[in-house]
Amino acid sequence: MKKFSIYILCAIFFTASCTDIEELQDDPNRATAVSPDLLLTNIETLAFNNVSLNSALASRYLAFTDGVNENQYYNWQQASFANYDNIKQVHKMIEESQNSEAEVYAILGKFFNSYFITELTLVFGDVPYSEAIAVEDQNYTPAYDTQEEIFLQVLTDLKSASNELAANDELILGDVIYNGDKLQWQKLINSYYLRVLLMLSNKADVASLNVVGRFKEVVDNPSKYPLFSSNNDNGALTFVNIQNNRYPLFNNNNLQTAYYLEESFVNTLKNLEDPRLFVFAEKMPSASALDETDFNAYGGLYGSAVFSDNAAKAVAGNASRIAPRYYNDPVNEPSLLIGYAELQFILAEAVAKGWISGDVSTYYTQGIKASMEYYGITDVDSYLANSAVQLNATNPIESIATQKHIALFLNTGWQMFYDQRRTGYPEFNVDGGGALNEARIPKRWLYPTSESTNNPKNLEEAINRQFATGDNINSQMWILK
Amino acid sequence: MNFRLTFIVMLFACCFSYGQQTITGSVVDEGNTPLMGVSIVVANTTNGTTTDFDGNYTINAAKGDVLTFSSMGFKTKQITVLNATVINVTLLEDAAALEEVVVTALGIKREKKALGYAVQEVKGASLEKAKEPNLVNSLTGKVAGLNIKNSTDLFQNPEISLRGATPLVVIDGIPDRSADIWKINSDDVESISVLKGATASALYGSAGRNGAIMITSKKGEKGRLTVTVNSSVLFQPSFIKVPDVQTVYGNGNQGQYAYINGLGSGSEGGGWIWGPKVDQLDPSTASGFFETTQYNSPTDAAGNLIPIPFTSRGKDNIKDFFQTGSIQTNNISVNWGNDKASYRMSLSNVYQKGIVPNTDLGNTSFTIGGTLNPSDNFKVSSNLTYNKQYTDNFPEVGYGPTNYLYNLVLWTGVDVDVKDLRNYWREGQEGYQQRHFNVSYYNNPYFQAYEYERGYDKDNVYGNVAFEYNVTPELSVKSTSGINVYSLNRTYKEPKSYVGYGNKSLGNFTNADSRYFDIITDFGLKFEKSFSDDFTLKSEVAYSNYYRKSTAASTQTDGLNIPGFYNLANNAGASYIASNLEQEEAIKSIYGFVDMSFYNAFYLSITGRNDKVSTLPKENNSFFYPSVSGSLVLSSLFDMPQAISFAKLRGSWSRVSEGKIGNDPYSYIQAYDKGTTWNGNTSASFGSSLLSPGLEPETSDTWEVGANVRFFNNRLGLDVAYFEARDYNNLIYSPISEGSGYESILLNGDEYKRKGLEFVFDAKPIQTANFSWDMLVNFSRFRRFQEEIYGDREQTVGFVKVGERTDQIYANVYQTNDNGEVIYENGFPVNDPYQRYIGDDDPDWTYGITNTLKYKNLNLSFLFDGRIGGLIYSTTNQKMWWGGKHKGTVNQFRDDANNGVSSYVAPGVKVVSGTATYDVNGNITSDTRTYAPNDVAVNYINFMQTTSNGQNKNYHYYKESFVKLREVTLTYNFPKKALANTPIYEFSLSLIGRNLWLNSDVPNVDPDSGVDALQAPSTRNIGLNLNVKF
Repeated sequence: MKKFSIYILCAIFFTASCTDIEELQDDPNRATAVSPDLLLTNIETLAFNNVSLNSALASRYLAFTDGVNENQYYNWQQASFANYDNIKQVHKMIEESQNSEAEVYAILGKFFNSYFITELTLVFGDVPYSEAIAVEDQNYTPAYDTQEEIFLQVLTDLKSASNELAANDELILGDVIYNGDKLQWQKLINSYYLRVLLMLSNKADVASLNVVGRFKEVVDNPSKYPLFSSNNDNGALTFVNIQNNRYPLFNNNNLQTAYYLEESFVNTLKNLEDPRLFVFAEKMPSASALDETDFNAYGGLYGSAVFSDNAAKAVAGNASRIAPRYYNDPVNEPSLLIGYAELQFILAEAVAKGWISGDVSTYYTQGIKASMEYYGITDVDSYLANSAVQLNATNPIESIATQKHIALFLNTGWQMFYDQRRTGYPEFNVDGGGALNEARIPKRWLYPTSESTNNPKNLEEAINRQFATGDNINSQMWILK
Repeated sequence: MNFRLTFIVMLFACCFSYGQQTITGSVVDEGNTPLMGVSIVVANTTNGTTTDFDGNYTINAAKGDVLTFSSMGFKTKQITVLNATVINVTLLEDAAALEEVVVTALGIKREKKALGYAVQEVKGASLEKAKEPNLVNSLTGKVAGLNIKNSTDLFQNPEISLRGATPLVVIDGIPDRSADIWKINSDDVESISVLKGATASALYGSAGRNGAIMITSKKGEKGRLTVTVNSSVLFQPSFIKVPDVQTVYGNGNQGQYAYINGLGSGSEGGGWIWGPKVDQLDPSTASGFFETTQYNSPTDAAGNLIPIPFTSRGKDNIKDFFQTGSIQTNNISVNWGNDKASYRMSLSNVYQKGIVPNTDLGNTSFTIGGTLNPSDNFKVSSNLTYNKQYTDNFPEVGYGPTNYLYNLVLWTGVDVDVKDLRNYWREGQEGYQQRHFNVSYYNNPYFQAYEYERGYDKDNVYGNVAFEYNVTPELSVKSTSGINVYSLNRTYKEPKSYVGYGNKSLGNFTNADSRYFDIITDFGLKFEKSFSDDFTLKSEVAYSNYYRKSTAASTQTDGLNIPGFYNLANNAGASYIASNLEQEEAIKSIYGFVDMSFYNAFYLSITGRNDKVSTLPKENNSFFYPSVSGSLVLSSLFDMPQAISFAKLRGSWSRVSEGKIGNDPYSYIQAYDKGTTWNGNTSASFGSSLLSPGLEPETSDTWEVGANVRFFNNRLGLDVAYFEARDYNNLIYSPISEGSGYESILLNGDEYKRKGLEFVFDAKPIQTANFSWDMLVNFSRFRRFQEEIYGDREQTVGFVKVGERTDQIYANVYQTNDNGEVIYENGFPVNDPYQRYIGDDDPDWTYGITNTLKYKNLNLSFLFDGRIGGLIYSTTNQKMWWGGKHKGTVNQFRDDANNGVSSYVAPGVKVVSGTATYDVNGNITSDTRTYAPNDVAVNYINFMQTTSNGQNKNYHYYKESFVKLREVTLTYNFPKKALANTPIYEFSLSLIGRNLWLNSDVPNVDPDSGVDALQAPSTRNIGLNLNVKF
C-alpha cells in the first residue's frame, strides 16, 4: 500500500522517476537455483510412475470397447521424445549437485539418465544420447547414437553408479522411494543393470558389451553388488491419498466403462487356476450369481477380435471389468520401476540361458511367490503344486515369460511388451480377425514428427543406417536382430 | 386519446394550410452549378421537398414561414418567405463538414483529411439502443478490418482482431492494458475511434503496435441541465441455431440398453447413444412398448429394477431445460455545463439472465466526469468510474462434462426426459450422490445448474485527470494521468459426485483473489502555431511513466467433509492446494511528434518514441522507433470533375517495437518451476524452454496507402486502405530437437508479413425532407505469410513453408490413393502417419452492411454482417457423429448393427499388394500399392465410433462463411410538438433486435465465434428501448 501511495504522489507531482526499472527485474515467483533434492523428488515421481493403460492393451492384459484402439489393434504410429525432458531434469540435478557439492545426487543421476535413455531406445532404436542435453554447446540438433553405443554407455554408467554409491557417505534427501536408504538404491541399480543385460540377450555375442560376463560379475559377487532380496526392496512408488499423489487410474471414467480383461490373459489365469485373477478382475455381469472365487465367473474380450464382436460381448455382460480397486482406491497398489518378482524371473531366464549357474525353478518359484505376496495372497503352495504352473522343462523361457506376464499386470510400464518382443513369449494374439497392421505386432514406434522439422539431417541419417524400409513400425531395431 | 391527438393534428394542419402559396426556385453552389437532392423543409412542420436533377424545387409555404435548405457538405441556409414566389438560393460549401474531426492517439482530435492512416469512427449514439452486454460485440460489422467473433456463451469475451492482431483498448486517452471491456457501459460512450494501423497508435508505444480501439466517454456538455433515461430490455425467446439431434435411438451401445447402477459399463453401453430404437411396439409387455430397466425404474420387493417402456420422453429436452434469457439495461445520466465548467454523472445497471437456469450476470457502473476552465488558458478535465461485475453462477464452457450441451444434448438419449431430472439427488444420498442415468461420465444438468456454481465478483475503478495550461498562445504545458484498479474474487463450488474428466469429485471449494493496479502519467510540452494561412505546425514532446502490479492467490480444498458447505475450513484433505503470483513491470518513455500542414492540402506528421522496459534483459531494454505519415488533399489542389466533391491520398510508414514476451513480465528470466509435491515433499522442475542470450525487442514495420474519394456532393464516398506489415525479430519459442532436453528456445527469429485490404463505402441514395436512406458498407481481407523460418529449416512445426500462408490447417487424416479415395483395412480407414493440408483458417473477406432509413419520425436501421471463406472446426458435429446423436446416423446400417449385422461397406479402396515408403516429411518416396474396391462390411456403429464420419466431413472442418442479420432497430422519435407541454424534452421508443437470422453451411452451430468447442445454442434477442431526455 505504501508503494501505491508513492505512485499516486508521482502522479500528482509528475516527478520523473520513482522506481528504477532494474528494481523490477527479479522474478518473485520462481527460483533461479534450487537444492538437488528438490529435483530428485520430481524425477522420482516421473521415473517410478509406470501405470499405463496403453501398455496394458498392447500386452494383452486389457481390451477396449470405445473404439478401435491403436495399441490393442497394433496400428500405432509416432511416439514421443518426452523422456528427454526427464533427462534434462536429471542433468539439472547433477548441475545443482555440483553447485552444492553433494555428489550423491550426481551418482543417482547416472542411474536415472540410464533408465530414461533405455526407455527411449527401446521405443525407437537409435536416438540422441552423447549429444543430447548439450545446449551449453549450442547444440540444438543432437546426432543419433546407435543402440550399441547407448547400451555400452548405460552399462558403464550403471556399474559406476553402483560402485560410487557404495563408497559415498552423504545423505540423500527428498527421496520418496527409499527414504535415503543407500543400500536399497544399490540393490535397485544392480537389479536394473541385470534387466538391461537381459534385454540385450540377442547381443550376447557382442564383445564390447560383454553381456554374459557382466551379468555373472554381479550375480557372483552379492556383497559388492547386492540385489533385491524381498518385495521390501522393490523400486516402488507408493501412492498417497493427496491430490496429485493418488493412483493414476483413481476415478478414471474409461477404466470403469470401456476397459475389460483380455480373454487370452483370463484364460491363462483360469487354466493355471491362478488366484491373482480375483485381485485383477471383477466377475462378468452375466455370472453375477457365481461365487467370486469361481473361475467360471470370469471372462474377457479377445484382443484381436473383430471390434464389434467385443463390443457386443461387453454389452451382453460376458466380459469381466478390472477389479474396482483400480479406480475406487486412491492408493491401490504401488507402481514399479522394477520389482523383486521381475528380478527373480530375470535370474531364472539367465540360468535357463546358461549365463549363470543355479536352479531355474528355484528362481521361477521365488518369482511367483514374490508376485503372490505383492498381491497379498498367502496360500501359494497349492498353486505351485498345480502341474500347469510347474516349470516347463523343455521350454523354461515360456513358463518364465507366462509368470512374468502375470506378475507385471499394470504395474511395470511397457516392460512386458519389450520382453515379449524379445522372446516371443507369451503369445500376443493377432488371429482374431480384427487385427490391423496386417496382423503383425509392431516392433517399434515412428520417430516424432517434430524431429523431421527440427533435426531432419540427423534423423534421416539414423533412419537410413537402421532401416531399409524407412521409418516403419514393423522394422527390426538392432537389439532384436 | 388517439382521437384527441388526431383532432389537434388536424387543427394545426388547418392553420398551416391557411394562406399557402406555391414557392419555386433553384439551388446552386458558389460555382453556379445546380445542386440536386437539396432538402427544403418548412421549419417546424413536416412539409418538405428536395431539388430535382437540375436543382429546381417547388414547395407550398405561407408568408412568414421559414424555409430551411440543407445538403451534406454545404452550410444550411434559412430564408423567410416574404412576398416573392420564386426563391433562388446559393449554398456555400461548408468547410467544417469536410473537416470532420476524429479522435486520434493520446486523445488528440484531428481533422480526418489530415490523417495519413486509416481511422474509422463509430458514434456512441448508434450503440445506445440495440445493446449487447459487452460493448465490443456491438462493433461487429461496423468497422472494416476489425473482426469481432462473438461467443454464444454467457459472459465470454469476444475474440477481437484488428488487421489480424489484438488491438489496444484506450479509454479517454489512457491505455487499458487490463483489457476488460465489460467495465465500459455503452451509455457512457461518446464515440469509438478505431485506429487501424501501427502508425495511428505508435505514440502509445509497444502496446499500440496492433492499432487501437479508442473509447471516448461522454463528458459534461455546455447547455441546459439534461436528465437522460435510457432503458432497454431484450428477451431471448428462440434460437437461430441449435443442435438438431436424432430422436429415434436411445442410450446404449450396439442396440442394447439396460440400466444397472449408472456406472455406465456392460449393458449400460459405456455412455454411448447407440442404443435401441425408442417407441418400439412389443406386444409381450404390459405397456405394449419395448421395456428395459432405466434409471427411474421402480424396484420390486427383492430390490431388482423393473423394466419400463423405452420411449421418446426426452424429445423436447432442449426446450424444456433452457429458459428464456433476458438482458435489461437501465441508465440515468445528468448533464450540465456552461463556459467555465461542465459536469456529467451517470448510473447504469445491466442485468442478464442466462438461458441456463440459475445463471446470470450483473454489471453496475457509476461514472462522474467534467471539465473546468477557470481561465482562458487553463483547462482541467477528469473522469472516474466505478464498475462492479457480479454473478453467483455463470456456465462453464468448452467440451467436457462441465458443459451443459454435453450433458443435455450430446450425451443423453431421447429416452431420458430432462424434466424427470429436476430432482437431482439420489434418494437417501442427498449431498453425496447426484441422480442421473449415468454417473460415471455425465452430470445431471439441473444438478450442474444448481450445485456446481462459479461465482465472479469484480470491482473496477478507473479514471483519469488531465490538465493543459497555455503559457503563451503557442506554448502549453499538459499532463494526463490515468489509473486502473481492480480486485476480483472468484469462487468455484464443486459438489460431491460431480463428474469431470477422469475425476469424480470429492466435493471441493476454490477461492481465488486477484488484485491489479496500473498508473500511467504523461507530462509534456505542446507547441502550436499558424505561421501563415498556408503553414501550420503542431508539436509535442512528453515523458511517460507506466507502472503496473498484479497479484493473485488461489486456495483449493482437497475434498470436502460436510457436503454442500463451501468454506476452506471444510477441507477434508491433509493440506490445501494453493498458489500465488506477483508481477510488477514498468515502462519509461519519451515521445514526441510534429504535425505540419501546408496550404490546407498537404499534411505531414512525424512521431518518435523511446521506451525503456523492465521486461527485457538490461542490455537491450531501451529502444527507439519512429513513424511518418502524410496526406494530400487533391481536391484542394486541383480542379476536380463536377462529380467529385473530395479526393485525398494518404500514406504512412511506422516502426514499433515490443519489449514484453507474452503475458509474464519475467519471461526473459530462466528459472525453476514448481514440481509435483509428493506426500508433503516439495519439488522443482526446469521448464521446457531455453532462453537465448541477448534477447531484443520484436519489431513491426508497417506501411499503408489509402485513398478517400467522395462524389455527388458527398452523397457517395469510398475509402480504400492497403497495408503491409513486416513482423521481424519476433520473440518466438523456436522449436528445437527434443533430444536437446528442451522443446524450444526463446529467441529473436522468424519473420511474417501481414497484408490487408479494406473498403469503406458510404452512400445516401435518397435524401428528401421526409425520407432518407443511408448506407455504410465495410469490406476487408487479411492474410499472414511466413517470410522466414529461423534456423536451417524447411518448414515450421505447423508444416508452413517460406512464402506460404500461416493459417494453413494440417489435420490427422486417413490415407488416400492417387484418386483421393480413402484406403481401408478390414473395413476401417487406415490412419495416415502424417498430418495433411486440408484448408485455410482465415476468411477471405469479412463484411458488414448497415442501412438506415428515416421516414419522418421513424427510423429503421439494420445491419447484416458476415464472413466469406475460412474454416471452422466443429467439435459439436464431430461428437454428434461419434456419439450417435447426429441425424445422419439414422439409417438401415444402424438398424443392422443393432441387430448384430455388419452391413456397412465404406466407399473407398483396400490395398491388394505393395507398400508405400515415406521420407521424414511424410512425402511418399516409393509406392507399389495396388488397390481393389473396399468390400469388407463392418458394424456401422463401430465404424462411426472409430471414424466420427470424419473422412466424409472434411474431418469436421466446415466452411465458416455466413451472413447474419446482426441488428435491427426501429425507432419512433416523438415530435417535439407533442412533448411541448410535458417536462420531457426528447422521447424515443425503439423496437430492437439482435442476432435475428443466420445463413451458413455449418450444421448445428453458429460459426460467428470462429471456434466450436461445443458452444451454447445461439439465441435470437428481441426487445424494446426507451430513451427519455428531461
